[in-house]
Amino acid sequence: MSAWTLRKVSGEAKLLLIGIPVAIWTLLPIYHLVLFALSPREQAVSGKLWPDHPTLHNFSMVFHEQHHYLSHFWLQLWNSLLIAVAVGAITLFVATSAAFAISRLRVRGGRAIMNLALFTYFIPAAFLAVPMYKTMSSYGLLNSQWSLILAMVTIATPYSIWVLKQASDKLPLELDEAARIDGASPLQLFRLVYLPLMTPSLVAVGTYALLLAWNEYLYAFLLLSDDRSTTLGVALGSFLSADDSPWELLMATGLLYALPPAAIYYAFKRYMVSGLTAGAVKS
Amino acid sequence: MASVLFRNVEKTFGGTKVIHGISFDIADGEFTVLVGPSGCGKSTLLRMLAGLEEISGGTIAIDGQVVNDVESKDRDIAMVFQSYALYPHMTVADNMGFSLKLRKADAKLTADRVAHAAKILNLGPYLERFPRELSGGQRQRVAMGRAIVRDPKVFLFDEPLSNLDAKLRVAMRAEIKALHQRLKTTTVYVTHDQVEAMTMADRIVVMHDGRIEQIGTPLELYDRPNNLFVAQFIGSPAMNIVHGTLRRSADAAWVEAEGGARWPLPASVSASDGQAVAYGVRPGSLALGGGAAAVPAEVIVVEPTGAETELLVRVGATQIVVVMHGRTDTGPGETIALDVDQASVLVFDPATGAAIRT
Repeated sequence: MSAWTLRKVSGEAKLLLIGIPVAIWTLLPIYHLVLFALSPREQAVSGKLWPDHPTLHNFSMVFHEQHHYLSHFWLQLWNSLLIAVAVGAITLFVATSAAFAISRLRVRGGRAIMNLALFTYFIPAAFLAVPMYKTMSSYGLLNSQWSLILAMVTIATPYSIWVLKQASDKLPLELDEAARIDGASPLQLFRLVYLPLMTPSLVAVGTYALLLAWNEYLYAFLLLSDDRSTTLGVALGSFLSADDSPWELLMATGLLYALPPAAIYYAFKRYMVSGLTAGAVKS
Repeated sequence: MASVLFRNVEKTFGGTKVIHGISFDIADGEFTVLVGPSGCGKSTLLRMLAGLEEISGGTIAIDGQVVNDVESKDRDIAMVFQSYALYPHMTVADNMGFSLKLRKADAKLTADRVAHAAKILNLGPYLERFPRELSGGQRQRVAMGRAIVRDPKVFLFDEPLSNLDAKLRVAMRAEIKALHQRLKTTTVYVTHDQVEAMTMADRIVVMHDGRIEQIGTPLELYDRPNNLFVAQFIGSPAMNIVHGTLRRSADAAWVEAEGGARWPLPASVSASDGQAVAYGVRPGSLALGGGAAAVPAEVIVVEPTGAETELLVRVGATQIVVVMHGRTDTGPGETIALDVDQASVLVFDPATGAAIRT
């Protein structure tokens, strides 16, 4: 074995030494989530490493809405999905248009507006929750899912514009010039040249906004108080309002709630990495 | 096909004037090369003609129509970029047919035009490939194909060969020239490479610092440059320039250089005895010999290239390049005598750079 391979092996060993504890640390809560979800009610807090009689009964109860905390499970899951998809789509539309205008059309003042939008991140979103509540109330949008959609789009857009603008800047300007000479109007340029080349970044940004909305609790809790309009995330939170909460059902629902983001992440992982790091280094 | 007119064209970038009132005409079907060192404004001028840069002053007309306020897409021009600027997500055929697609042309017509252009450029087997699957030369041909499909009034080339290796550049140079001879479309070609300019152009426009130094056919520029800049820019290896003082007797004239060397001149030169001049002689106008007026020189380096031999020699304090046909057995350190072809010698006023008639 040469010195070079020896060094490589020892380097990998060091990485594993760090990686394995980190992986265990990360997976531990998920292990407990699964453990709870598979345990019958009376064994849920027994402290065993694996339940004596693992069961899917909890899932069946969730699916059949057999508990008053879960009486709108399917509707709330649908609400979560609808809101997340709407936030992803609207954010994409707004951010892509803005990035195109700022980066490609070089609209005067575009960069200043982008920086102003990014400036909003200096204030934690939690502090903006009450002003946002007041705004939505004065527009009569409280309890309408539009209020949450608009709030999440507001939060997701500045970062999305920034990411897309960085990615846009990397497209050669000659492409736009060639298209202009070829006879493309700005809209044709956008549709036929810009969008196809931006696809990886678009997927990444759309996924980011979608997951942001899917995982949102605070704004959903504040803006949507009706059980029939709120999201599953808020419904999960309401489990904690009682003393004798059915933990096994909470965990089973939580596991289900975590599946769509995981699926989306794995489906678009390839794009996420290349998209979110685009613009990070000068190539 | 169309003529192109530039009238007092100016360009200002944020208060800095980069093009200073340029005027010249390009005839219908002419192949005109804009050449000059980088930063001379040649690309800016081309981009103004293309409609990619605004015209700060003066007018540009294509086919008799002033285009200052006409959008690029309505100027009926096609441009080939240095970076090719192919759409990476489209096949070769789609790249070439894109302009017609935007014009909502008939699919059959588009396919015919693309096939025709592909045949001219030998791109037939590659029509369904993507740009990333092509070599640099093939990409450049696709960029040309995109221009041909347009059948525009004017072709614009912006340093199209700069990204290619030396061998391919020579091949593509010939292809572009052959293409022009076949299509006879008015062409404006920008390059910093004077060899490209010399070999391809019907007429060359030499630019420097946003101004035109001289316009002419390649051989006019080579034989009768207006000034020192053009003299040194055109021709490879560059013209030798010797600074000295003009001397004349009853029937002869010569330039006395620093170090005492005497460079012979035709007696007809219109300059007076004692005048400071820059003496220009092309490397090919010098030959090994031993005539009465021969200039003694010391050989520094001998560079045989096969058909020709390039000698770097020292005359007085000045280094001179000599290109001779065939081979030589002289070596470094030896002293040789240089015969000067006096008919091709040029003399310039060193203060203004302007040529003095000989």
